[in-house]
Amino acid sequence: MFADIGAAFVQTFTLTNIAMICIGLAIGMVVGCIPGLSVTLGIVLMLPLTYTFDDAATAIILLLAVYVGGMYGGSISAITLNTPGTNSAIATTFDGYPLAKKGKVKKALDTSLFASTFGGLFSAILLLLCAQIIAKLVSNFTSVEYFAMGILGISLIAGVSGGSLPKAIISGMIGLLMGCIGLDAVTGVSRFSFGLKTLKYGIDILPAMIALIALTQVVMKLRDFKLAGGKLDDANKIDKEGLTMKEAKSILPACLRSSGIASVLGAMPGVGGGVAQFLCYNEARRTSKHPEEFGKGCLEGIAAAESSNNAVVGSAMIPLLTLGIPGDGVTALLLGAFVLHGITPGPTLFTKQGVMAYTIIFGLLVANIFLAPFGLALTRAVAKIVQVRYTYLAPAIIMFCFAGAFAATNNTKELVLTAAILVFSYILTLLDIDNTPLMLGMILESIMEKNFVTASMSYDRDYTIFFRRPISLVILILTVVLLVSMMRLNKRIEKANAEQEAEMAANHQKFDAEAIEKTEHNEWGPPPAKGGTSED
Amino acid sequence: MGLASLILLIMLPSQVREPAYDSGAPSPRIIPGICLVIMLIFSVVLLVQSLVFKKEKIVEFDWQKERPAIILIAMLCVYVVLIIQIGYVPASIITFIAIVFFCGERKWPVYVYIVIASILIYLMFKNIFNIPLPTGELFGG
Repeated sequence: MFADIGAAFVQTFTLTNIAMICIGLAIGMVVGCIPGLSVTLGIVLMLPLTYTFDDAATAIILLLAVYVGGMYGGSISAITLNTPGTNSAIATTFDGYPLAKKGKVKKALDTSLFASTFGGLFSAILLLLCAQIIAKLVSNFTSVEYFAMGILGISLIAGVSGGSLPKAIISGMIGLLMGCIGLDAVTGVSRFSFGLKTLKYGIDILPAMIALIALTQVVMKLRDFKLAGGKLDDANKIDKEGLTMKEAKSILPACLRSSGIASVLGAMPGVGGGVAQFLCYNEARRTSKHPEEFGKGCLEGIAAAESSNNAVVGSAMIPLLTLGIPGDGVTALLLGAFVLHGITPGPTLFTKQGVMAYTIIFGLLVANIFLAPFGLALTRAVAKIVQVRYTYLAPAIIMFCFAGAFAATNNTKELVLTAAILVFSYILTLLDIDNTPLMLGMILESIMEKNFVTASMSYDRDYTIFFRRPISLVILILTVVLLVSMMRLNKRIEKANAEQEAEMAANHQKFDAEAIEKTEHNEWGPPPAKGGTSED
Repeated sequence: MGLASLILLIMLPSQVREPAYDSGAPSPRIIPGICLVIMLIFSVVLLVQSLVFKKEKIVEFDWQKERPAIILIAMLCVYVVLIIQIGYVPASIITFIAIVFFCGERKWPVYVYIVIASILIYLMFKNIFNIPLPTGELFGG
C-alpha cells in the first residue's frame, strides 16, 4: 500500500498531469460560471480529448480538475449576477449577492475561493484516508454483489433525480435497454438493432453522453437566448478589497463544519452537492454567533455554501472509486470516463491498479491546492466571459460536440446517432423525464451484464443466487430501504429548500429596493423574519 | 411509454435470437426482458397515478416556447447530413451562420468568428488529436 502511494506521488507530478490540472481548472471555472452550462457539460466536452492520452489516470485527473474548477466557477456568477452558474451554487447567492450589492464583490469571491479550496482539500484528504479501508472491506465481493451494487446505483440515482419516481425508473430502464443495443458480448447475438447497420455495433456511450448532456443543455440555452432577445444580465463590477486574514480566521469554523457535513453527505451515493449546500447553510446559520446576518451578505454563509459543494467532490469519489457506484450526474459521467478507458472502478482498482488509484486521488488533491492561485488570477477574466454574447460560445461548443462524437470511433454513424439521441432526449425533456438515470443506465449496462453473466454462469444459471448470497441480499434490501427513506428525505429537504429560496429571493428584492433608497452602507433594514426552514 | 415497452416486449423474441448452441451463458434476452417488464409496470403505475389519484403533472406543450428548440434541433440534424455530404468545415459554416441568424444575432464579428472557429477546430482535431474530421462524400472525401 505505501509503495503504491509513494509511486503514485511521483507519478502525479509529471508535467502532463500538472498541465492537465491547470487546463481542467480553467475550463471548469468557465463552464461552471456560465449559467445554464453545468460542470457535466465541461466534463463531456473534455472526454473526447482524453482519448488521445496514454495514461488513463491523466484523463481522470483532467476531468476531476474540471469538476473542482466548475464547483468554484458556479459561485462567480452566483455572486456577480445573482444567478448560480451551477445547481450547487444556489446557496451561494443567498449571501454572495447581497455582499456584492454592498460593493464588496472581491471580498465575496475571495471568501468563496478560500472556502472552496478548504472544502476540497478536506474531502480529498478524507478520500485518501478512507478509500483503502473501504476497498478492503468490500474486497471479497463477487460478481453477484457487483450486480446488486449496480441495481443499487441506478435506483439511488432514480430516487434523487427529483420529480416522479416511476418516470425516473423508466428513464433508467430505457438507459439499460439502450446499453443492450448491439451485439451481445457473451453470445454474440444482435439485440434491438432492427436490422440497421448503424445500430449493429451498439451505441457508444460517448456520443450518447454528448447528445444527452451537452447538446441538450446548449440547445435549451440557445432557445432561451432567442426567447430573451439576446439580453444580458447586469453584472457587478469586481473591486479590489479582498479577504483579510482576520476574516479568513473567522470563517474557518463554518468551513470546517460544512466540509465535515458535506463530506459525509457526499459519500452517500444519491445525495450530491445540491442537497448538501442547503443543509450546511442551515447548520452554519444555526451555530453562528450572528445568525441575523445570514442572507444579508454574511461571509460565513458564503463559506458554508461553498466549502460544502467543493467538499462533495472528494467524498463523492469514495463510493465511485471503491464500489463503482456514482452518487450523482457528475460522478456518473466520471464512471463513464473510467469505462471508456477500460478501467472498472471498485476494490480491484486498489489491489490491482493501486498506483493509478492513488495517482487519481493525489491529482484531486493537487487540483484543489492549485484552485487557490488559479482562482485569484483568473476570476476577473472568467467573470468577463459570462458577459460574452452566447452566440459566440454556442457554435463553438456545438461544433466541438459533434467533432468529439465523431472521434469516438472515427465513423460518421456516430454523428447520425448523436442527432437521433438529441431528438430523443428532447422528447424526454418535453415529457418531463430526467435523463440522468438514463445515462447512468447506459454506462452501467455493460458492467452489470458482465457481472450478471459471470454470476449466473458460476452458479449454473441459478438466478436465485442474487437473493441467497447474504451480502447481495443485504445490498438489495438496502436498495429498497434507502430508496424509500431517501425519497422521503429529499421531499422534505426540497420543500424546505424551496421555502428558503423563496425567502431569500424576497430578501434580495427588499435588499435591492433598500439599496436604491439608501446610499449609506451601514444602515440596513430590520432583520428578516425567520423562515420556516427545517433544521434537520 | 407503456405502449412502447409493450411493443418492444412483443418484438423481443424476433429481435434477440436465441443462440444456436448452449454456451452455458444465460440467455441474452434476460436483461432486456427484465428492463421492459419493469418499464411496463411503472408506466402502468404512472397511468394509475394520473387516472385514479389525479396526481398528474400536466406537461403543457407551449408551442411558442418550444418552436425555437425544435427548429434548432432540426437544424442540427441537417448539420449532420451536411457534414457527411459536404464535409465538416463547410457544413459548420453554413449551419451556424443559419443558427446564429435565426437567434437574432446581427453583429458581423460573430459570423467571421464562426468561420475561424470551424477551421480551427478542424485543424485542432486533425493535427493535435490525429482525427481527420469528415471532408464530405461529394468531394471524394
